[in-house]
Amino acid sequence: MSDVKLYTLSTCPWCRKAKKFFSDKCVPFDYVDVDLLDGEEQDKISDEVYKISGSLQYPVVVIDDQVVTGFNPSRYEAILGLPHDEATA
Amino acid sequence: MSTEERKDTLHYYFEKIVDPLGFKFTPDEELVDFLLEQEIKLEQSAGAPYCPCQGRTNKREHDMKIVCPCIPYHQRQFNAMKRCWCGLFVHKDVTDPDSLPQISESELRESEAGHVD
Repeated sequence: MSDVKLYTLSTCPWCRKAKKFFSDKCVPFDYVDVDLLDGEEQDKISDEVYKISGSLQYPVVVIDDQVVTGFNPSRYEAILGLPHDEATA
Repeated sequence: MSTEERKDTLHYYFEKIVDPLGFKFTPDEELVDFLLEQEIKLEQSAGAPYCPCQGRTNKREHDMKIVCPCIPYHQRQFNAMKRCWCGLFVHKDVTDPDSLPQISESELRESEAGHVD
């Protein structure tokens, strides 16, 4: 089972789509809405996001050791070894 | 001013700004409505209609580059995607915005480096 973590913003529709993608595929995942964190924690996690993705553009999806910035169902499917689903692409 | 009135005002001014840059509002009206509403919430809580899909740092130099419409600060990336990061704006020739992927800055750099090699 892959370890999936999503860094998201509560205001971002693509972040919502990313969460829905993993829910629909029954892939367990952790997520953090970075904008809802308190000041110091938000700074810490934002730094973490910048280090792994090189920007603060969301969503940032980490599947095991692979980082995908943006809502990209085809990439998620490829990394997870799931069959390509045209409906979610 | 109500949220609906503010939405209309932002829509009016944003259209004038993005048009000469080769962009228009996405034809996905539901997405436009949602994103403008998020921007108005951000304007009320953080002082400006920031991009709902990009994070702030509280450093002016960075944050001013994600105030909508932020196209001039990310033109290379957004032209490659034919849309802005949150999808509020798309290139004028786009009719099917769902087909446009988000391409990160790092992916773009890798792809450009690949073309050079």
